[in-house]
Amino acid sequence: MSLLDIKGLTIHYVTRDNTVKAVNGINLSIGESSTLGLVGETGAGKTTTALGILRLVPDPPGKIISGEIFFEGKDMLKAGDNDLRKIRGNEISMIFQDPMTALNPIIRVGDQIAEVIELHQNCTKAEAMVKSLKMLETVGIQPERSVEYPHQFSGGMKQRVVIAMALACNPKLLIADEPTTALDVTIQAQVLEMMNDLKKEFKTSMLLITHDLGIVAETCDEVAIMYAGEIVEYGLLEHIFRNAKHPYTIGLFGSIPSLDKDVDRLSPIQGLMPDPADLPSGCKFHERCNHVCDDCKTTLPDYTEIEPGHFVRCPRAVKGEI
Amino acid sequence: MIKYIIKRILWVIPVMIGVIVIVYTISYNLPGSPMTTRARVGDVGLDAPYIVQLGNYIWRIITRLDLGRSYASGFRVAEELATRLPVTFKLSLLGILLMLSIGLPCGMVSALKQYSALDITLTSISLILAAIPSFVLALLCAILFCVVLRWLPVRGLNEWRAWILPVFCSSVGSLAVYLRMTRTTMLEVIRQDYITTARAKGLKENVVVRKHALKNCLIPLTTIAGLSVANIFAGSIIVETLFSINGMGVYIMSGVLARDYPAINGAVIAMSLLICVVNLVVDVAYAFIDPRIRVQLVSGSKKEKTRKNKAIQF
Repeated sequence: MSLLDIKGLTIHYVTRDNTVKAVNGINLSIGESSTLGLVGETGAGKTTTALGILRLVPDPPGKIISGEIFFEGKDMLKAGDNDLRKIRGNEISMIFQDPMTALNPIIRVGDQIAEVIELHQNCTKAEAMVKSLKMLETVGIQPERSVEYPHQFSGGMKQRVVIAMALACNPKLLIADEPTTALDVTIQAQVLEMMNDLKKEFKTSMLLITHDLGIVAETCDEVAIMYAGEIVEYGLLEHIFRNAKHPYTIGLFGSIPSLDKDVDRLSPIQGLMPDPADLPSGCKFHERCNHVCDDCKTTLPDYTEIEPGHFVRCPRAVKGEI
Repeated sequence: MIKYIIKRILWVIPVMIGVIVIVYTISYNLPGSPMTTRARVGDVGLDAPYIVQLGNYIWRIITRLDLGRSYASGFRVAEELATRLPVTFKLSLLGILLMLSIGLPCGMVSALKQYSALDITLTSISLILAAIPSFVLALLCAILFCVVLRWLPVRGLNEWRAWILPVFCSSVGSLAVYLRMTRTTMLEVIRQDYITTARAKGLKENVVVRKHALKNCLIPLTTIAGLSVANIFAGSIIVETLFSINGMGVYIMSGVLARDYPAINGAVIAMSLLICVVNLVVDVAYAFIDPRIRVQLVSGSKKEKTRKNKAIQF
């Protein structure tokens, strides 16, 4: 049994004027100490999925319409508030996209880390503080800086603090929501390397949300490609990087300049993401797809396994026409 | 920190001298001002040139806290103020406490239960209360509670029940505004990423609100509270007049009607001083609440150290 199993998760943002269909029936699973990369454009529903796992989708307007999220066999969607609080920060923790805003500006960083330790580990304030200092050291920040406030840290260091906070209780699952997007490239590399090391050290599974395929290649075991709230392709790292089948995945790779091929122009995907409040019928990607057929416009394609562990939601790819 | 507070207190002096100069200059230049009559009235020296009069006025305030004598009654203005200021001060203080103790929690509840029936009720009531001028409200309340229902005394401050209407009427406008500001601020803070972080830690919702959201709300709300104090203070002039309370408000009103320049000047200066002090308190409170401001105030040597640390890290 895998650590986290998501089945048919659907999350909509319901407002008076319209319904934004952010996540539409996705299936995911993450095994023990493995890393799943969730890749997609801005607005594909990646962050909503992550918040949905912790039941932190802002309500209103966010509503989890249907689906099941099993964490170690327990259905998170049926868990009570008390149970949820015991899981949050303790067994599943989250690293947020923007370290600049993810830390409370008026609480000392040491206290912010100690808070989560004190909450989950049945220890005194002093013990939590000691552990908090140790965590800061683990992520490469001098413990004496624990009395400082977030604004006294640089972006990369703030993200380290956030990571220290997320790992403080040795969670079984770490959800990293674009952990390096707000950082510059050199700091990105440092943070990623550190996360990889810590993941190994603490044997943590990870859901890595990103739109950077380079990061995926470096850190992930499995990859899910998300488009307009659906997972269009899912498989092991090799499946996606060596044998991508879905036109959208192929398009994503076509948008990245290659070191060893000399081309005049990249081949990006035409058009824009559909408005999630007004999704097209059939395959959500058909308006931008080069291989579109009549069927694509009307019927939602099935999620089909084309080789062991490699799923694609495209009928033509399944038939081998792409 | 203490250095900062002392510095901030010392700043009150030039501000107050500025206030005195402006107030005196305005009253000197008003049409029909007795100060320009060049009349020799007792020891007031109105025949002296403007700059000499102003210098004397400031000198007497600094050395003897002497604001001159009232033209109308002949009493010393400073002594008159000393008996009236505490009344207005107490009235305003109660008004501010009322504003904070109702406006803050109601605004928070309103934000946390956004669009609920409670929120809609609170925001509509506050809108209405903010829109009614305090003298209209005071009169309506006086008619209802004092004349029709006969629950409360209509004038004076002789028993505790007499305080209810003046305090309520002088603060209700600010209270309504404060409630709405609290709601807006809270709504903004509760959507911040660090609140999601706090929730993702597994904290209870009331801890999230109290420890993480409220403290951040207090930063802008302290500023607004400081501004409201000035408002409530100014509003007390009308309310005191309506309820015949012998405070600063009545003194200013009668001074204006009697063209009693020393009384008006003295009262305005006293009120400015009070507002200066309130601002001082707000500024100091700010430094206590917001570490970003506090850190700017600590000595440079520590800053240097921090910078070095940063350089080592990356």
